[in-house]
Amino acid sequence: MRIELQNFTKRFGDTTVIEDMSLSVASGEMIALLGPSGCGKSTTLFAISGIHRIDGGTLHFGDRDVTRLPPQDRPVGVVFQNYALYPHMSVADNIGFPLRVQNLKPAEIKRRVGEMAELVQIGNLLARKPQQLSGGQQQRVALARALVRKPDVLLLDEPLANLDAKLRLEMRSEIRRLQRETGITAILVTHDQIEAMSMCDRIALMKDGRIEQISTPGDMYERPASRYVAGFLGNPPISFLRAEAKGQLTIGADNALPLPHGTAARGPITLGVRPEHFGPQHRGPSIAGQVSFIEPQGREDLIDVTLPCDQRLRAIVPAGHDIALGQPVTWQVDLSRVHLFDAEGARL
Amino acid sequence: MTRQTLLGLGFLSPALLAVMMFFLLPVVLTVVFAFTNMSTSTGILGGEYQISESDLRRLPAVGVGEDAVALLAGAGYAVQPETLALFAAEFGEDRAAELDKLHGGAKFDDQRAMERALKELRRNPLRKVRDRKTAADLFRVSILGQRFATRDDFALAITDLGVPERDRLALTEAAYTGWTFTTQNFELLWELPATWRYALNSVIYVVLTLGFNVGFGLFLALSTFYLPSRTAQTFRAIWFLPRILPPVLYVLMWQWLTWDQGFISAMLRPFGIEPINWMRHTATHAWTFIVLINGCVGASLGMILFSSSLRAIPETQLFAAQVDGANRWQQVRHVLLPQMRWPILFITSYQTLSLLTSFEYILLATDGGPGRQTEVWALAAYHTALSNYGGNLEYGLGAAYALALVIIGILLSALYLRFFKFSELVAKPRIEQ
Repeated sequence: MRIELQNFTKRFGDTTVIEDMSLSVASGEMIALLGPSGCGKSTTLFAISGIHRIDGGTLHFGDRDVTRLPPQDRPVGVVFQNYALYPHMSVADNIGFPLRVQNLKPAEIKRRVGEMAELVQIGNLLARKPQQLSGGQQQRVALARALVRKPDVLLLDEPLANLDAKLRLEMRSEIRRLQRETGITAILVTHDQIEAMSMCDRIALMKDGRIEQISTPGDMYERPASRYVAGFLGNPPISFLRAEAKGQLTIGADNALPLPHGTAARGPITLGVRPEHFGPQHRGPSIAGQVSFIEPQGREDLIDVTLPCDQRLRAIVPAGHDIALGQPVTWQVDLSRVHLFDAEGARL
Repeated sequence: MTRQTLLGLGFLSPALLAVMMFFLLPVVLTVVFAFTNMSTSTGILGGEYQISESDLRRLPAVGVGEDAVALLAGAGYAVQPETLALFAAEFGEDRAAELDKLHGGAKFDDQRAMERALKELRRNPLRKVRDRKTAADLFRVSILGQRFATRDDFALAITDLGVPERDRLALTEAAYTGWTFTTQNFELLWELPATWRYALNSVIYVVLTLGFNVGFGLFLALSTFYLPSRTAQTFRAIWFLPRILPPVLYVLMWQWLTWDQGFISAMLRPFGIEPINWMRHTATHAWTFIVLINGCVGASLGMILFSSSLRAIPETQLFAAQVDGANRWQQVRHVLLPQMRWPILFITSYQTLSLLTSFEYILLATDGGPGRQTEVWALAAYHTALSNYGGNLEYGLGAAYALALVIIGILLSALYLRFFKFSELVAKPRIEQ
């Protein structure tokens, strides 16, 4: 089911949280709304589910205008951050609740609850109460409850935020598996770039109630539309250097790089270098500095290099090197992979 | 005993003292009073010893012999050396001597006969009627109507009178005017049809008011739950007013609303409806208003408690219910109400207890009327012991009424505490011992 959100505006009292936002999600696609807290991603999700009213704009599921429909009448399933399971009901009753309020026959409810429980692999827990379940199991119950109505759209509001690291990894692939198996159109709200990149077909990166960039994870990582996007994606994060684009790219007084192809001389710019594109193992023009920090990670080490102009670059260096703190180094930059942004932060 | 234990007791002691003084002591006194025949006529301190004319008839029933009764009843006045000596001291030796000559050893049944005898004095006559009355009193030997402060005085008096030894004990007990220990209060409660009526009234009162309190409290909590918070707060504040108002003022407003020249009557008059006292016209009217008056006070407590427990339910559960397709009623029925089981049970049990013993609003509104049709048990206890039309306040009987309530209350509380697993509800102190 295609989702088409056009010119969406949401106000809480006098505060406009989201203004004139448009988003379209293809049928069967899983898209992430990624952004820091307060950027309006959950608000967008709640507006699509119908829990929040839409103050301006339209929302279509396929060809159907659902802008004014109450949540009860929208073909959506929602998984909430704290799962919002009904504590007084058993797992089976929780999953069956959407069917029960439709006054289906108990036998029919039982059959479909059973099917759904098998799908999310909790068939043996049906008699338990939510507080007797682990976080991951509660998550599965919430997923089953969201899917049991066979909705056209699955909305996930920070579904992994309350899980520990190991479970998060497990549930990441589990949710993606379910989404692929059911072929449902899904929107995932998250502040975690790794979740967004690993689970979704596309990412809509949001900032202050606007979509900053919408693209596939790979494209967004390789070609960030702005300094903000480049800074948001990637772990460890990208390093930014103040530079001057004249005949060449000068960084402070002591370092200079050739201008990348197609870049005009234009004065002050920001140079973004990802840690995996700087280090002794690369080829290309070099930058000199002093090792100021070493953070061993096992397979590789994170090494900070402070330039003479007191700016800092981070490098990922494979383990097994003999670099010491305070050592002066001259390391190469993979110039074809660096990002240039103008003073406003837009990509050059 | 460690210092900490002592310190703990020290902090507790004001509360313990208060509990002793304002709870245990009244309960103990109620138990004691319930087993006495204490009333206005017996007083609450000791009593005196007195046999009156009207007592004579019941004496044989309590085991006083016929001849002893005849002794008490007969021969009220006697001219004998003791009485003559008294007379001589008051009215002179010569008169005493003359009377002795005329009537020495004579006995007179009543005061008039005695006065007639005194009239016969010639040498120095007692002319004034008042003097003769005073003088006649001096010859009085009967103890009828006389008060004796102590048991010994009375014993001496009946011994003098010649009451046989075997009758003295029964007679002394019958003559006692103070209170005694007895179980007759409970026998009376059991036998009186009115008692059963009061019990039934209490049941009607508690059941109806409780139903109204819980039902209406729930309705208010749920309806304000779905309102915008500012509106909801205003609404709740308005419903809280009856609880804040002084009861007398609050009931006075109901009186003004319902009396035959009050608001309801005035409003209905243009429609040709005769003005009546809407609160006291019939028992049904009275019960309706008693439930409303108490209910509007009680419902606000339920409303506050239910509202706060509603707000403790995470908002996302309601969101989830909405996207699960549940309409308002289904949300209330399947999501909200099941999670309010404990507050509802708590309000029910708490208000059962408080309604059983509360009567102040009934007292102010109908005072048990019309007739005794809204007289509940607690009000009956109050009327019997403390505010009684006849003026004879029967403390003992009233205490027996109250004792029944105390016992029911203690039983119910014990049941509730068990039922609610009170020990689990109370959190352990966070401070390390």
